[in-house]
Amino acid sequence: MAAPLELSCWGGGWGLPSVHSESLVVMAYAKFSGAPLKVNVIDNTWRGSRGDVPILTTEDNIVSQPAKILNFLRKQKYNADYELSARQGADTLAYIALLEEKLLPAVLHTFWVENDNYFTVTKPWFASRIPFPLSLILPGRMSKGALNRILLTRGEPPLYHLQEVEAQIYRDAKECLNLLSHRLGTSQFFFGDMPSTLDAYVFGFLAPLYKVRFPKVQLQEHLKQLSNLCRFCDDILNSYFRHSLGGKLAPLQLSFICVEYLHILLGLYKQNSLLIEEVCALSLNAGL
Amino acid sequence: MSLVAEAFVSQIAAAEPWPENATLYQQLKGEQILLSDNAASLAVQAFLQMCNLPIKVVCRANAEYMSPSGKVPFIHVGNQVVSELGPIVQFVKAKGHSLSDGLDEVQKAEMKAYMELVNNMLLTAELYLQWCDEATVGEITHARYGSPYPWPLNHILAYQKQWEVRRKMKAIGWGKKTLDQVLEDVDQCCQALSQRLGTQPYFFNKQPTELDALVFGHLYTILTTQLTSDELSEKVKNYSNLLAFCRRIEQHYFEDRGKGLRLLLLTNLERIYLKSRSIKNRPNGSVKMAYLRRTYRE
Repeated sequence: MAAPLELSCWGGGWGLPSVHSESLVVMAYAKFSGAPLKVNVIDNTWRGSRGDVPILTTEDNIVSQPAKILNFLRKQKYNADYELSARQGADTLAYIALLEEKLLPAVLHTFWVENDNYFTVTKPWFASRIPFPLSLILPGRMSKGALNRILLTRGEPPLYHLQEVEAQIYRDAKECLNLLSHRLGTSQFFFGDMPSTLDAYVFGFLAPLYKVRFPKVQLQEHLKQLSNLCRFCDDILNSYFRHSLGGKLAPLQLSFICVEYLHILLGLYKQNSLLIEEVCALSLNAGL
Repeated sequence: MSLVAEAFVSQIAAAEPWPENATLYQQLKGEQILLSDNAASLAVQAFLQMCNLPIKVVCRANAEYMSPSGKVPFIHVGNQVVSELGPIVQFVKAKGHSLSDGLDEVQKAEMKAYMELVNNMLLTAELYLQWCDEATVGEITHARYGSPYPWPLNHILAYQKQWEVRRKMKAIGWGKKTLDQVLEDVDQCCQALSQRLGTQPYFFNKQPTELDALVFGHLYTILTTQLTSDELSEKVKNYSNLLAFCRRIEQHYFEDRGKGLRLLLLTNLERIYLKSRSIKNRPNGSVKMAYLRRTYRE
């Protein structure tokens, strides 16, 4: 298609092209299907809107939610599910529903509701990318929206209490991760050798959980034990997103890496050669 | 319930066998119960029938408030009260009956995924249609929901529930959807279910599982409930293998066991008859007449 497709979405960090799940789903799908997407990262100027991100703009259309954006891309002939059978297409819908019902509440809780995580990581990150007066309001609003969603879908009316549902949503999320791990098994992607919509969704939900460094990490710890899911995320990052990361390394990321190097060097006396492999992997990931 | 309490309850559950006087509570059949609650209740009944566990259905106007989680149906077994299909399946499993034991891990993952698909799309669409579509709300839902209560309580409760459901729809992003988009989602969901079912008798070939019970509950209710328009049931009727699936479960688990869901799927003749006595021609007082034309023989 001649018309340029522009996607505005939240930016990246910690080795990811975007920290926001929905934006990441759309970016991953675009890479899998070969859609030429120009990514406009939201920064703290007043350009562009911040509500309902990610937003896809073409010459005459503005499309806003991930499901709708993916449908639009498919209509423009960028279809990553071309080789799937009808039953695999049905499975895709079912697994996406599973992700949204079981995993999403816990991911929202980890990012936006858990106080330690929200105040030390999420809020500063988003506030630094929103222009001044809005940066005081918008993260708070996003946090309330996340809490609302968790309580309304999982809480028990009429008195919605967070404590009652916290244990339940984390248990459901761990079960969901186990189910995904069983389903993935040892294959590279969920349906054979080519990535599809389901891979985009799973990557979009799991990668931020896997990579972003939080103080309170129970779900992340559980995810790290499922090595095939971690391998899945790393594979996609390395094969499809290497170029967009390798070019410009944000100063924040660079400082993280320096700290990692120092940490590793100091520990090198006590550790064995596994660490040297870690160092090599780290530098490969950073594209150095 | 906290995790410790749940573990304790399932320990106790495992100790006792299934009693003869287990009861299932739902709202009043003829006058009060709504589409989504009826679907959930039928799913639980189908599941218990598939497990060969006897259950007696009792209708109470305040079933929603009696339930521990605020949702119907709930079962009262021995000393315990368990609500909603998910916890009921686990409770029954603790007692030693399970339909999904023969499945391997990948199949169990698929089963859970499809159950979430039904909950995510079909149930949400039913709630949307009942509570966010103005025509249905005005003609059917408000009147039915508040029917056991005197004025002004019936209006207050109905508006409160509507506000709650609309909040939830907005939170999950369905607030801005139009009816056509919702019907399209239902169509997609039915297509996925139809493709998964294929030509098999049940979703996991020979034996029914809780997924079959859930799908049956929702599809059967959609097919046999009369709303202001037929669009919802038309979407399901496009898929003949789903119709055959509902018929098969109804025949095998309800008719043959003498539990008679007496009204079978509407034939063409009945549909023509119903259309000629359309709802809009009825006087207001007859709203309390049975919209759901089937009765459960207990």
